Amino acid sequence: MTTFSPPTEADQDPVPSGRPGARRGPRVSRRAWRAAAVVAVFVIGLGLPVVVSNPYYLGIATDGAVLGILALSIGFLASRCGLISLGHTTFFGLAAYTFAISTTNWGWAPLVAALFAVLVGSAVGALVGAAIVRTPGIGFLVLTLAIGQAFYQLSVQTALRPLTGTYDGIPIIYADGQTMLGRDQADMGDASQFWPIAWTVLIGFVVVVTLVTRSRFGRTIEAVRENEERARFSGLNTFTPRLLAFMLSATGASVAGVLFALKANYVSPNVFSFVTAGDSVIAALVGGWTTAVGPVIGAVLYVFGQSELGATGNLQLFTGIALVVTIAFLRTGIVGALTSLWSLARRVLLTRRTR
Amino acid sequence: MSIANLLNGVAFGALLLILSSGLALIYGLRGVINFAHGALYMLGAYVAYQSVGALGFWGALVVAPLVVAVAGVALELGVFRPLEHRSHVEVGLVTFGLAMIIERVIVLIWGEDTLPVEGPGGLAGTVSVFGSGYPAYRLFIIATAAVMAVGLFVWLQRSRTGLHIRATSQDPEMAEILGVNVSRLSLLVMAVGGALAGVAGALAAPYFSVQPSMGQAILIPVLIVVVVGGVGSVGGAMTAALVLGIGQTLGNVWAPSVTVLLPYVLVIGVLLWRPTGIAGKRVV
Amino acid sequence: MNRFTRDGSSPRRVRRCIALLAVTAMATLAACGGAGGSGSGSGDEPIKIALIPPSGGVFAIYGRDTIKAWEFAADEVNAAGGVDGRKVEITAVETDGTPAATVRAARRAVTQDGARFIGGIITSPEVAALQPQLPSMNALLLNSSAVDDPLTGEQCNANAFRFVQNTRMAIGGVASSLKDLPAKKWAIMAVDYSAGRTSAKAFTKAVEASGGEVVMTQFAPQPTADFGSFITKLQGSGADGLYVHENGVDAQAFVNQGTQFNLFDSFKSIVSFKVINEPLFETFGQKVDGFNADLGYAHQLDNPENAAFVKAWKDEFGSDPYHVEADNYLTAQALFKAVEDAGSVEPKDVAATMEKLSMDSIVGPIEMRGADHQLQRSSYFAGVKFADGQLGWDDITEIPASQTTPTADPACKL
Repeated sequence: MTTFSPPTEADQDPVPSGRPGARRGPRVSRRAWRAAAVVAVFVIGLGLPVVVSNPYYLGIATDGAVLGILALSIGFLASRCGLISLGHTTFFGLAAYTFAISTTNWGWAPLVAALFAVLVGSAVGALVGAAIVRTPGIGFLVLTLAIGQAFYQLSVQTALRPLTGTYDGIPIIYADGQTMLGRDQADMGDASQFWPIAWTVLIGFVVVVTLVTRSRFGRTIEAVRENEERARFSGLNTFTPRLLAFMLSATGASVAGVLFALKANYVSPNVFSFVTAGDSVIAALVGGWTTAVGPVIGAVLYVFGQSELGATGNLQLFTGIALVVTIAFLRTGIVGALTSLWSLARRVLLTRRTR
Repeated sequence: MSIANLLNGVAFGALLLILSSGLALIYGLRGVINFAHGALYMLGAYVAYQSVGALGFWGALVVAPLVVAVAGVALELGVFRPLEHRSHVEVGLVTFGLAMIIERVIVLIWGEDTLPVEGPGGLAGTVSVFGSGYPAYRLFIIATAAVMAVGLFVWLQRSRTGLHIRATSQDPEMAEILGVNVSRLSLLVMAVGGALAGVAGALAAPYFSVQPSMGQAILIPVLIVVVVGGVGSVGGAMTAALVLGIGQTLGNVWAPSVTVLLPYVLVIGVLLWRPTGIAGKRVV
Repeated sequence: MNRFTRDGSSPRRVRRCIALLAVTAMATLAACGGAGGSGSGSGDEPIKIALIPPSGGVFAIYGRDTIKAWEFAADEVNAAGGVDGRKVEITAVETDGTPAATVRAARRAVTQDGARFIGGIITSPEVAALQPQLPSMNALLLNSSAVDDPLTGEQCNANAFRFVQNTRMAIGGVASSLKDLPAKKWAIMAVDYSAGRTSAKAFTKAVEASGGEVVMTQFAPQPTADFGSFITKLQGSGADGLYVHENGVDAQAFVNQGTQFNLFDSFKSIVSFKVINEPLFETFGQKVDGFNADLGYAHQLDNPENAAFVKAWKDEFGSDPYHVEADNYLTAQALFKAVEDAGSVEPKDVAATMEKLSMDSIVGPIEMRGADHQLQRSSYFAGVKFADGQLGWDDITEIPASQTTPTADPACKL
């Protein structure tokens, strides 16, 4: 079975202390420490526009956060379920287009349109997931690729021109006077205004994914990933957990799609493109998808690379190199490599100290 | 005019047939989908462009497959063999990354422009087919594909090497136990697969013109054809290629919007119904 | 595997540390990037123009010629001391031509390089994506290439100005000459995006107005590598006139493959739009002999500014300029005049003078229409003739703006 071997995430207590009352102490403080850390990161992150006044870098951070949500959706599915999807652009693009169509063509309020778009993306995610989660390995990869590209073709079909604008895409225009979360349309394109939204959603999604992974549901999915047959024989329903995981992942991609459309104020068939699909998977992989943080880091690096290398046209070259190097040598991605480096450094330092 | 339309479909299907046979061979033997196959095809086209000036079209048609065969061997030695013990998906992703690298390097060498390649002078005109004129060059592509298909089939069915390839595709471990030199066979298959991609690229150069996006553009149709045809089934891939080429081109006449979705509907349907593909014999 | 590694650090804790580190690193890096944005200048601040052409694809060659023309204009004016003493600085950033990449590049040029004026964007979707972002970037867009009507219609923007004839204006040139052509039953082959759709619609209207009929309309995606099935359908359409609207590489593919199928011999009249231009004369050769084509600019235009421009261009590059180069040179001249009139490079001030711009140019007297920011200039229609071993324009007709675009698009609310 396909796996990228992650360190075990089983949420077990260390050596039990033997006294019944003693277990409560360490667990509470550990959980509290974790929660406090998350809140701290969130609050610090919210203040980013204060520290970073350069709109260029702030733009990169914002775009990175949005792509990070997409990458994390893909990474979650790949590492927890062993399902690598080259077609998450389906939900990303579908949500983006739904948002564009409902605001521009139908005049809906942006917030309503955004929620509707996420709903549509998730619903399609459920349908697609139900059909394909049982297909193993390469078959799943090719299926997701085909579905993603089918949606690309739909977005450029002449017959759907009134809806999608085909190759021209849809410039998003809010109905007169509409605002989104208190900001009018021009402000949404401004990175410092958009950042709090992107950051909040990102942190929220990271927390959700982490909690899901650590839950009993998360362990069930991993059991299915390790050996589907054995899990089934153990009495677990192997279909529903995978479907639910897929739906969560599709919802994440849809949210990312809506955020993307909100910021760019423009959707074009590129959101469905093969390049986008491939690059988002690579960003997640290179970042290190065994963790929740890895794909986000991969996404930020990718967006940075896109801005810096875009003019040279060499982005795809370096993305390809990063992919090959990661799979061949850095199997747990950048985060994994950093973690190992850190462990190594600590070991060296400790050994030195005791000498 | 429908004869001309049909021939358009057959011509495209023929090109796809040559390209997908190579991919199917590799997929069958190694169990890995070589996502770099489109890049190999592109390499063949650019090498053909480069050699046409000095060697003429026929010379280019010989040089391109040779160069890409070497590239295939390099792929085998540099990627497939060292990563033999990794999962098929991982190796597939490596080829995906390699495709991006190869395609960009090609553009860095030859530039971003679309490069025109003239077909051979003798095939420049039209041939009268059932009353309407049809470009001779496209007929040539069809003829070449037919010859290749027959040749490949005879080789796989009748020769000893062909027997070994078929055996290894079905069960690599058993084949090795029975004395087949799987490593040498892999080298051969990669070379042949590469050569086929090179021929397809060289043939496509006057047909489609040589441009940076050609590798990516052909990859998905080829993948679909190979997957639908069946894991490692060369015959299946060939049939699927022709069906796709003709079906799409004819469908374009009647219902263009629906036809465009045909290949995707096909591959989704086939994979969900029969994950091993229509003629496949092994689960992935 | 034990949750704790030998030295007591937890992998999860380490990862959380990495997350915190990442945020801090990002902030530090960004802060080191320095405070960006354009500072308000004073005195002889240079005129900074960012050109954002595509690096590849169908329009790559137009991109290169755009840069050539702007640099020519900049060198010319800088050699004469600049615009009111201000130097003109051109930076070119190539992108892959997708709207998202172009917007990113524009933002970068404005925030990192201090550009105030953006040009060299070739396609309408890119311009459409960029226009709404202009006010927040405090920059002006000078459009010398994207022809889609809505850009100065419902998508019009106070910071964007168009100097090239839009599709309606260009088709107007074609339409008025339709009655002189022998064909009456037309087939249309157009590129499948806004500009193609608009031109097909406008041409259909013109054909019907002149008493003919359109028997078939087809659209091909951009890019299309194989026009085979389109060509066979055209052959079976029963039309005696063909209208083709394709760009750059697609135009070449269509002409080459059409010749392979002997397509063009079966039509009495062929009208091509955006297909033929001077750089492609050599590739096309005899294949397009007898076509009729739209013309945005012809180097033969008879006025003193053009004579000087063509001479200087020929001295520098050894060939006559064609419409891409001329349109960009024209835009540059307009910008320089607007800056001079405004006495400043602040986008707001330049926009104000540009709206009322009126000058003598290489295409004769021109005027900017304030209601929709569309430049008023003539369109042309010409025959294509192959003689003495090369292609050339023949029989050029001029159609003034008053005829092709009498009023501003009412959808534009500026």
